[in-house]
Amino acid sequence: MTTQLPPGMHLETVDDKIMTLNVGPQHPGSGHMRLIIKVDGDYIVSCDPDPGYVHRGEEKMAEYRNYIQNIPHLERPVIHDSSNILYPYCLGVEELLGIEVPERAKYIRVIAAELNRCIYILYWLAIYGIFLGHSTMFMWPAGDRELFIDLLEAMSGARVTHAYLVPGGVRNDLPSNFEERCLRQVEYFEKRLKEYEAIFYQNPLLKARTEGSGILSRTDAIRLGTTGSVLRASGVDFDVRKKEPYDVYENLDFQTIVMKEGDSYARSRVPYLEMFESCRIIRDALKKMPKSGSVRTKLKPNPKGGNDEVYRRVESGRGAIGYYIVSNNRPEPYRVKISVGSFRNLICMPYLLKGEKLGNMPAVYWGLNYWPVEADR
Amino acid sequence: MSSGTEKDIEVKDTTEEHSDNSENTAKSDSMSKGEAKKFYEEKGLDLSPDVPVKPKPVPIFEKSLADKISSKFGDKIRVDYVRADRIRVTTKREDIVDVAKFIRDELKYDHAESVSGVDYPDSSEIEVIYHLGSYTDEKLGRQIFALATRVPREDIPNPGSDTTRTPSLRDVFYSVEFHERECFEMFGVYFEGHPDMRRLLLPEDWADIPPFRKDFKIKGR
Amino acid sequence: MSTIAPQFRLSRFIGSLFDLIFWVILIFSLVGLPIVFIVLFYIKLPVINNQLMTPYLAMTWMADPSRTLPIVKSFMHTTIFKVMAFPGFGFAALLAAATIFVERKFLAKMQLRVGPLYCGKIEGILQLMGDGFKLMSKEIIIPAKADKPIFWLGPLLFVGAAGAFVSLIPVAPGWVVANPNVGLLAVFAVIGFFPIIAVLTAWAANSKWTFIGGLRALHQMVAFEIPLILSLLGVVILSGSLNLSQIVESQEHFWWIAFLPIGAIVFFITILAELERVPFDLPEAESEIVAGWLTEFSGMMYGLIQLGTYLKLYAFAGLFVVLFLGGWNGPMVWPPFPQDIITQGITIGPVTAKFPGLPLFDQDMLNGTLWFVIKTVGVILLILLPRGVFPRVRIDMILHTGWYKLIGLAFINIFIALGLLYAGVLGPGGLLQ
Repeated sequence: MTTQLPPGMHLETVDDKIMTLNVGPQHPGSGHMRLIIKVDGDYIVSCDPDPGYVHRGEEKMAEYRNYIQNIPHLERPVIHDSSNILYPYCLGVEELLGIEVPERAKYIRVIAAELNRCIYILYWLAIYGIFLGHSTMFMWPAGDRELFIDLLEAMSGARVTHAYLVPGGVRNDLPSNFEERCLRQVEYFEKRLKEYEAIFYQNPLLKARTEGSGILSRTDAIRLGTTGSVLRASGVDFDVRKKEPYDVYENLDFQTIVMKEGDSYARSRVPYLEMFESCRIIRDALKKMPKSGSVRTKLKPNPKGGNDEVYRRVESGRGAIGYYIVSNNRPEPYRVKISVGSFRNLICMPYLLKGEKLGNMPAVYWGLNYWPVEADR
Repeated sequence: MSSGTEKDIEVKDTTEEHSDNSENTAKSDSMSKGEAKKFYEEKGLDLSPDVPVKPKPVPIFEKSLADKISSKFGDKIRVDYVRADRIRVTTKREDIVDVAKFIRDELKYDHAESVSGVDYPDSSEIEVIYHLGSYTDEKLGRQIFALATRVPREDIPNPGSDTTRTPSLRDVFYSVEFHERECFEMFGVYFEGHPDMRRLLLPEDWADIPPFRKDFKIKGR
Repeated sequence: MSTIAPQFRLSRFIGSLFDLIFWVILIFSLVGLPIVFIVLFYIKLPVINNQLMTPYLAMTWMADPSRTLPIVKSFMHTTIFKVMAFPGFGFAALLAAATIFVERKFLAKMQLRVGPLYCGKIEGILQLMGDGFKLMSKEIIIPAKADKPIFWLGPLLFVGAAGAFVSLIPVAPGWVVANPNVGLLAVFAVIGFFPIIAVLTAWAANSKWTFIGGLRALHQMVAFEIPLILSLLGVVILSGSLNLSQIVESQEHFWWIAFLPIGAIVFFITILAELERVPFDLPEAESEIVAGWLTEFSGMMYGLIQLGTYLKLYAFAGLFVVLFLGGWNGPMVWPPFPQDIITQGITIGPVTAKFPGLPLFDQDMLNGTLWFVIKTVGVILLILLPRGVFPRVRIDMILHTGWYKLIGLAFINIFIALGLLYAGVLGPGGLLQ
């Protein structure tokens, strides 16, 4: 007897040879999500990602708060990269409300975004290290991350959730000795990055393990709509900072990191090389920044958008983040949709893990630059 | 089949449509439009839009793209706006696969950035918007093409089994797979032809209406 | 004003002290003394000054404490002391505890951290004790459908096998718990138990993660046992003995690592794999299979496994020292026991105390132990070092290494040993012997 199942439900067939593993949500190698993995011996037959354990309905919440109240909660999906996830929201709201941002504020926003990108990538790298069983690579980036956290604390007053970028500029001006301090720490950090290269990226065991595993070809990377480091590791030269420069990125000197291999090693290396570029951007922005001036255009209280919609995107640590904001003459947005890099890269997971060895699962999974909380929003 | 499926998209002027929406939304809220007006006046706020209406020049490149698609499909589509780097086109759901194929093959957009649903309870419709981008074409790097369609909305939804359905674009743009699954569970829009239309983010035992619809209220708000 | 004892009275306090002393004396004389005498009647007592120690004479230590020394000395040569204290469990556990502490501080320094810092004031030296108490006080959780007897037995078997391994390691001349003539074969036999224990407990726990971890442990250990045995054949060929003490004695002039470096390298790599240490910690790879075959262990069961692991670490390091680094051999650096204390005793003012049993340990034994410990700690540090440097490898890479490369290298090592033997350079009756 077969019963008609409602759409969205499915029955599972069981095979004796195949073992189903629930990687997550209580698993040291999963994060706040579940991968339903079927293994035949040591080989993964299929993988079904099951996110949603930290779905908080940020988009729904945004419909109930006005444009300013939305700032603190919209950065919650990625507290390590909070400037970058707020950036497109600020850009979009500025476009909706027709606000001009002061020149100095644009540079400060870029510096905050790049510092935050380094914080995120260091955190990601730390987890990548421990996923591959390299405990030193867990401790070093986690320690060096403190440098940038201290810098952003001096800028914004908060260690992790800064809420520093607001529509119309930044919340407050830089502290007095910021420029000198930032340059010193960036210089030290570049030295440390070279040590990472020696202990981690040139490690023969790491290379043997990640090179050639989970290969995503250029065609597939485009077809699957991946973004961020995954896309650039597969040989597509696409960076929103270059292609659609927002604020002052077109004035700044940096280049896009592209690797052709498309394997786990390339995916782990692209974000690392991007940190060098971030340091370059920070240096350049500090040099070109106007030394004084206003940093924030004051908004009207409870500002209202017109009957309009806007789609703005930036490049975050995990790829492009796009905000689709619909407004309808009310102080609250009618609809906010956040298109995040993690969610867009999620589609690669069943694709890449199929036929892969179980031992490659952590490297492939974390190489996708996937942040479960952000994907769930 | 109810009459809702046969209802065509009303082709209106953009400004009219938006003003319609704003009135209707104010009504649909817990307070009526009059109450809302009073509420905002008490707080010393005016209801007029803050944005000064400035006519912007229509960019040439984007206009050429929009002309290309409108010359091909004519009445079947409506170009909502053409701005710097952004084009938005609305089409009926019957035509969306053809339009999407044309966008992929002729205009060289190759991936979807997001699939958003927007609920309009007053016109009893749900809008599904595909934001498409391109990696392969150098000129299209900064462009986003918004392809929208409207599906009928039912007041008592039964996701998957009611008339809220539209053809899936999964065979045209592979990258919409998970986005459409999210749209299905959050708005109850069933995508026909999608191979794996299961829930993604919501728990298996979710028994309420799709949560991103406007009649799903957050507690305490 | 303290509120701990608000009703405090000095008279009551002193009274309670006298009460306590009264009860101690009463219980000791009524219960303690009879027990001591019963025990002394049944223990074979040593002969001191041509006089057999009877229980009555033994009790004279109360009048002359120096008479305890011969008793202690004779006790130190009993098997029970060897098993429990010196070359056996106590010594190994102490070294293992020191190893854990050193590992944590050492790794912390490599990773620019401080490691344990607060517990015990001095660099967190009591952290391990704290962890031990924590493990003991934790609840032991057994999975619902586990095979309970085997699951309970697993940690005990593991510690037992590790203890058996420890008992075979000679620390100083004559100081070894078990000294069979086929000592090396016994070592191989004991090592063979570990994969069986891992698979048994992994199966008994009725969990997928333990199952995969157990299978990985089985594959890995079996793959590495063969190169392990083959790499040691060179030593056996050259020293002409399977007895570990005789192997050490054969290295009096030169260590086998000088002639068999390839064997030593192969053996060192197999040690890492057998101990499941980074980079071969696949059976416990936490990002893939939670904690491997240890997933379902909790509380003191996990503590026992950890104890067994570190005992095993000590035993393998000791085996490496015994086979390749000359065991207890080394220049005499331990100062001799002052002769005048033995002959004249110690004069403290008007009293001259003579200690007939001194010295408790002879110079050779202390010197040997010192060299053994120094070498073992060095090897242990080398085993710990990769943890801060390498990532984990994959199961196919590890099996490929074990079955192809290491076995090949081990055979090359055997050919070198045979060449040296038949050329008449080394081995029984060789030029250098």
